[in-house]
Amino acid sequence: MTIIAWLPVLLYGLAAAAYIAHFAQREPRVGRAATALLGAGVLAHTFLIGMQTVTAGYAPLVGTTAAVSAFVWLLGLAYLYIELSTEERAMGAFVTVLMAALAILPALNPGVESRPPLLRSPLFTIHVLSLLFAYASFALAFVLGITYVLLFKEIKAKHLGFFYARLPSLQVLDMMNARAIGVGWALLTAGVIVGAVWATQVHASPDPHARAMSVADPKILLAVLSWAMYSFAFFARGAIGWSGRRAAWLSAIGFVIVLLNFLPVGYFLTRSHNF
Amino acid sequence: MRLFAVGVTHRTAPVELRECIDFARAGLEPALSALTSRGVAQEVVVLSTCNRAEIYAVADDDRAGEAFGRFISDYHRVPWDRLAPHVFEHRGPDAAGHLFRVAAGLDSLVVGEPQILGQVKEAFATANGLQHAGAVMHRLFDTAFSVGKRVRSETGLGEGAVSVSYAAIALARKIFGDLTGLEVLILGAGEMAKLTGVHLQAQRVKQLTIVSRTISSSDALARQLGGRALPWAQLADALSSADIVISATGASEPVLTRAGVEDTMRPRRSRPLFVIDIAVPRDVEPGVGDLDQVFLYNIDDLRSIVKENLARRTAELDRAERIVAEEVARFATWMQSRDIIPTVIALRRRFDAVRRAELNRLEPKLAGLPPEARARVDEITHLIVEKLLLTPTEQLKGLTDEAMMVTYADALNRLFGLSSEEARTPAIEPRRGQKAS
Repeated sequence: MTIIAWLPVLLYGLAAAAYIAHFAQREPRVGRAATALLGAGVLAHTFLIGMQTVTAGYAPLVGTTAAVSAFVWLLGLAYLYIELSTEERAMGAFVTVLMAALAILPALNPGVESRPPLLRSPLFTIHVLSLLFAYASFALAFVLGITYVLLFKEIKAKHLGFFYARLPSLQVLDMMNARAIGVGWALLTAGVIVGAVWATQVHASPDPHARAMSVADPKILLAVLSWAMYSFAFFARGAIGWSGRRAAWLSAIGFVIVLLNFLPVGYFLTRSHNF
Repeated sequence: MRLFAVGVTHRTAPVELRECIDFARAGLEPALSALTSRGVAQEVVVLSTCNRAEIYAVADDDRAGEAFGRFISDYHRVPWDRLAPHVFEHRGPDAAGHLFRVAAGLDSLVVGEPQILGQVKEAFATANGLQHAGAVMHRLFDTAFSVGKRVRSETGLGEGAVSVSYAAIALARKIFGDLTGLEVLILGAGEMAKLTGVHLQAQRVKQLTIVSRTISSSDALARQLGGRALPWAQLADALSSADIVISATGASEPVLTRAGVEDTMRPRRSRPLFVIDIAVPRDVEPGVGDLDQVFLYNIDDLRSIVKENLARRTAELDRAERIVAEEVARFATWMQSRDIIPTVIALRRRFDAVRRAELNRLEPKLAGLPPEARARVDEITHLIVEKLLLTPTEQLKGLTDEAMMVTYADALNRLFGLSSEEARTPAIEPRRGQKAS
């Protein structure tokens, strides 16, 4: 079991190394190897999650560690989709490093948490999956934003070098960022609404988690904050022309909030979401 | 059987001489026919560009190289004494290496330029269409094409613009991606403005606007480029809708000031503006480049990009040369394995001759057989010969060591009494062109 739990981490790590090597040297064979390794990692991860689902009888989404695992898996799928549809591998170096680092958490704690009665609702699964997919989109937007800023600085300073030779155009990065924010925002909105509906349904439950479901809980507070942040990013682009570098910064700050909410808050601070 | 590469290039001959040796001018076909009619070569391809005139050929005679040189001299009526010092000659693997370097752009005036690969392809297609290319030329040029492709995809040799106009266009692409939907503003209507306009027009931008102090000259340029001309007074309007501005006026004072550009930037929101100042003295205040969404490049910036790109291409040379060396080694091995082919053919002919002789001898006895049975006898004897020869043929073709090859050929010649005439028969059937002689 432990070997199977560590296999995705290993493959993601190797993929990250290959993506970085490809980013530096631009050897087409290394690029193809990187994609293959990432594909293998996602497959191994799919197998792992599938096995956990069969063993437990429900989707392993209970607890922050399981959510991190599902997040990494969704991020891998989303990134592979983008890479295969755009033939653009430059982002892989950033995305796979994030994946490999985060995948260590579930590997250290591979067991499936038992599911309390409170979470036996289809709304729970929809809530968690749509939010995790939103986070994966925001992670991509974050990477796109960072690379946009790096490329922007190079062109502005007239030092055409490392990133200039490796990244797609500013326009393409900006457009992909807009799409990632758009998809992420829609899923975030849906996830929060479903979560709110579900919370009102279970409010009478004796479970202390249910009674802690309020905006005062740090997890929910930060979720609302990041929703406000991404709503601004989403609408400011069209309404007041906040594209390009401003959109890039917004997506970077937004993802920092998401990550804070996901890890430290999810593990230590929340009293409503600590299953 | 040897491979030759003979000719003149920009490295060996001055332009005055190269001008006289332009095979392409009168068409490659007559040159190929004239060359093959001399009967020196079994296979020929002629490559002719403004920087080179080269003959690639397969010939038996070791002195064929000079014959090709003299052909160039005769065909173009350039005295041999004048031409000879400028003619290069490569043989065997060196000849292959030369073609591979040419195809990869390593031998080009601007290292890594991509046009040459297309010219090499054309040269081969012409020769092949006239049946002057046999097995060796097919293999040689196929390898050359793949070397060209490999060098392009595996090294940075062809990367980075090496002229100022292309550097500007490459930058614009890095900022805007596709240029087709963009509006371009050209300030000035002089020679530089026109040149840049032509380059941008080739990128199919949406709108070209020309603004200059004298409306008549901007009108004229607008007509030439298929753009529109606006009077100088409407500069601010034109600026606010432009994505790319090229400034090339002869003004002695800045035409675009920081304050002026800043005013037009506000309604643009985050849409970037790319300003290219190719005028000397400069048309654009340097402070314009400090504005948030403005990228400002002047002529010196573009020149230094070109210089860096050239330096980077040079740095990639080693990797490209390694690819060439790899492919040359592979090609040389293949060429060597072909040396055994005359022996293989002689051996097969020998076996078949024995078969036919025996069938002839038995003819009176076989005559009584029905036609189908007679055909079966023919087929069976043929199959026996084929099967007996299958393994030896494969073994012989698999040889790569030259000394071993000579030993084998010698042994076979003695064991089966293969005449030297049979063994020398060329591997490739004579071409139509050669029979004319």
